[in-house]
Amino acid sequence: MPISNYIIFCLTLFTIGIIGVLVRRNAIIVFMCIELMLNAVNLLLVAFSKMHNGVAYLSDKSSIVGAEAQVFVFFIMVVAAAEVSVGLAIIVMMYRNTHSVDINFLNRLKN
Amino acid sequence: MNLIQIIFWFLSSFAVISAIMVLVSKSPVHSVLWLIAVFFAISGHYILLNAQFLAIVNLIVYAGAIMVLFLFVIMMMNLNKDTDPQKNIWIKLAGAVSGGCLLMVLVSLVKQATEINGKEAMLGKGDIGLIGTLGKVLFTDFVVPFEISSVLFLSAMVGAVVIGKKDSKLENN
Amino acid sequence: MHSLLNINSSTAINYLPIAIQLIFVIGFIGTMLALSAITGPKRKTKDKLETFASGIEHHGDARSPMAVKYFLIAILFVLFDVEVIFFYPYAVNFRTFAADPTMAWKTFMAVLMFVGFFVIGFVYVIKKGALKWED
Repeated sequence: MPISNYIIFCLTLFTIGIIGVLVRRNAIIVFMCIELMLNAVNLLLVAFSKMHNGVAYLSDKSSIVGAEAQVFVFFIMVVAAAEVSVGLAIIVMMYRNTHSVDINFLNRLKN
Repeated sequence: MNLIQIIFWFLSSFAVISAIMVLVSKSPVHSVLWLIAVFFAISGHYILLNAQFLAIVNLIVYAGAIMVLFLFVIMMMNLNKDTDPQKNIWIKLAGAVSGGCLLMVLVSLVKQATEINGKEAMLGKGDIGLIGTLGKVLFTDFVVPFEISSVLFLSAMVGAVVIGKKDSKLENN
Repeated sequence: MHSLLNINSSTAINYLPIAIQLIFVIGFIGTMLALSAITGPKRKTKDKLETFASGIEHHGDARSPMAVKYFLIAILFVLFDVEVIFFYPYAVNFRTFAADPTMAWKTFMAVLMFVGFFVIGFVYVIKKGALKWED
């Protein structure tokens, strides 16, 4: 599969995530769109790692060139779990205080 | 068009349609369900790229844990009815148009790039996506990030307890 | 297709049975739901469509807001769920690490330290009473 197919597919997903962050005002949907963008980047990293591995695979079938990228993706997923747990806790507390998840409430941080 | 290409195009179009449905859905619960569909499609892509460990981790962590947490929060806040305030249609249009412009610029850049001409992502074979290989790399070259991630989890745990616990105490008083 | 019989599950073709099973499951459920919707009898009176509560008048919504303490437990579940993911690569490689004298103690200490941080967090959570179900 040409790598440009993967790049364009991941760019499409990433752009949909950006549009979601711009357009929606529900904080939970905005957060979900950020997860979507993270996933698009993860898939692109894996595709690039397989691209580099494919070159090395021709000469050495047990080559581990590109395995670092997949470890990076693993770390991204794991850190995303920690980020989501704290972020959702913040959204829940925001809802407790303002009874809304509209992100436009957040620009009045003062009182 | 062989089987692999058919699977690639099916998974890609399924993921893009589901991602659009995440934005279009009125109800947050439907958005979460469509996002889970996107994650399943991306897991299918990982299997196609023979990144088997990441495919399973994606399902367990994202579709299994994170999305359940999102659903839990939506149920907790009773947001299943549409609470997204009706926004100006022009702002929505402006967001969509600016996102479309960004996509157009990026795709034209990809089309012009000569470095990726003829480069292929290897599908269906290769050992780097297997759990054994990734474990060896993780425990030889990435021991320090491994420990740092545990510190990060400790801080996330403390943060969640501090944010979540304080409020319930205030409520009791 | 000969690789289907191969025990070594290192290629993507080994996931073909799972894909076939997935397609079969989705197709079966879809067909059954569509069939029952098409052929089944429909009586859409107002009493029939009402929520069934054993004859008692129902009141309110099923999705009443929950307390924050349940949410805290869900968050802690996610964090410890991800901790377990880290053990799979170690468990698969355990024998090769144990056979290598330079790696054996190094990796074991690394995992022990990792678990140690989580134990610190767990003790903190217990001390704070975040897992206490009853108030």
